[in-house]
Amino acid sequence: MEGRPTDGELFTRAQRGNQAAYEEVVQRYQQMAFRTAYVITGSAADAEDAAQEGFVKAYRALATFRSGAEPRPWLLRIVANEAHNRVRSAGRRHQLELRVAERFRPGDAAPSPEAAAVAAEDSKRLLGFVNELSDEDRLVITSRYLLELNGEETAAALGIPEGTVKSRLSRALARLRVRVEEGAGA
Amino acid sequence: MPEATQLEQRLAFLRDEIDWPVTPALAVRVLARIAAPTTSAIVRRPWFQSRWALAAAAVLVVFAALVVYTPTRVAIADWINVHTIFTRVNQLPTPSPQPSGPLGKRLGLGNPTTLAQAQTKLSWHILVPASLGQPDEVYLQFPPDGPPQGEVTLVYKSRPGLKTSGQTGVAVLITEANGKVDAQMFGKMLGNGTTMEVVTVNGHQGYWISGQPHVFFFIDANGNFRDETLRLATNTLLIDDNGTVIRIEGDLTKAQALEIASSLS
Repeated sequence: MEGRPTDGELFTRAQRGNQAAYEEVVQRYQQMAFRTAYVITGSAADAEDAAQEGFVKAYRALATFRSGAEPRPWLLRIVANEAHNRVRSAGRRHQLELRVAERFRPGDAAPSPEAAAVAAEDSKRLLGFVNELSDEDRLVITSRYLLELNGEETAAALGIPEGTVKSRLSRALARLRVRVEEGAGA
Repeated sequence: MPEATQLEQRLAFLRDEIDWPVTPALAVRVLARIAAPTTSAIVRRPWFQSRWALAAAAVLVVFAALVVYTPTRVAIADWINVHTIFTRVNQLPTPSPQPSGPLGKRLGLGNPTTLAQAQTKLSWHILVPASLGQPDEVYLQFPPDGPPQGEVTLVYKSRPGLKTSGQTGVAVLITEANGKVDAQMFGKMLGNGTTMEVVTVNGHQGYWISGQPHVFFFIDANGNFRDETLRLATNTLLIDDNGTVIRIEGDLTKAQALEIASSLS
């Protein structure tokens, strides 16, 4: 029985004009693309447009995708570029307000109501500090930790060299830590 | 730095707590746009320059699609000018639930009108099938939601001998549109269980699409795919009547569809 094709195999098929393979690519990556665009634009509607436009442009640029390369950063760069363009053309970025979901996750170790409330409050406070960061700091922290992008992918999403990601992340974490400590002492 | 590590751990924990907006289903829209020539990088020649080349290509590709179900764009058949983008897919996308409300809104047909009023606003003679008589409802649609020269839809809720379609809730829908040769107004995605064959009605050529329901959507005046109109469609006959494309949709047999089409006047 044929196993699930790898991302690279799907890209190779899509490069040969197989639209079903590209449909699978879109389905695999749409969440990552949409959320990345959402973090950049701060707007779900703009993120949807950017992700859709990015996937269309990526399809048309498939011939430029180097066989053997990592598809995720390649796609992310195109989608993120669309998202950044939307922010630029609008002249401003929507205020991104990430929120903590109000839900009980299956598989949680059945915390006591008090413990759950404390954990939820802790998450909300930390996310509040992240939301208050500058765009540059918030983007790098969100990309790396909340979107779980690796260094190369974060670089693609932010449109910066990979080497810059580490230093920018380090500075952003330091500033976040200050806020957290000040918040704890308040 | 221990503090940074602890902070990173808390951020990692936060990852699963975020209330992200729902990720939209993009695959259908992306595929529709890839297939749409108006947004494609492909430069297409005027139809008269390549009429026979296109005819040959269309026949070959349609034949190939019927024999082997390789996912591919089937044809933009200018020689049979049905103003429709066809896409072959291995797996049909699942359409979103249709909006609630009256038929026109639910199926994206436009605004209700009468046959007489619609005729005053359209540049071509609206064809009505004598076999079905006067329609029960008529809808008209213009840009931005419809094609540049408009489109009219005749609704036949029920007729003796005809089933009510599970996809539309009525017996027969007839949509007519007219436009430039290269204008695309409709899109169709056909899965493996749907067949498509070339037919001739009163000397006019067209397609009979039957079998498993296929995906149908309207394309607006700018060539954009209107995702709110994406729905499953049942058997459909598409014919070109001197530049007017007519689509007849219903839970019909081929013979019933051809009879309706041949009674258009």
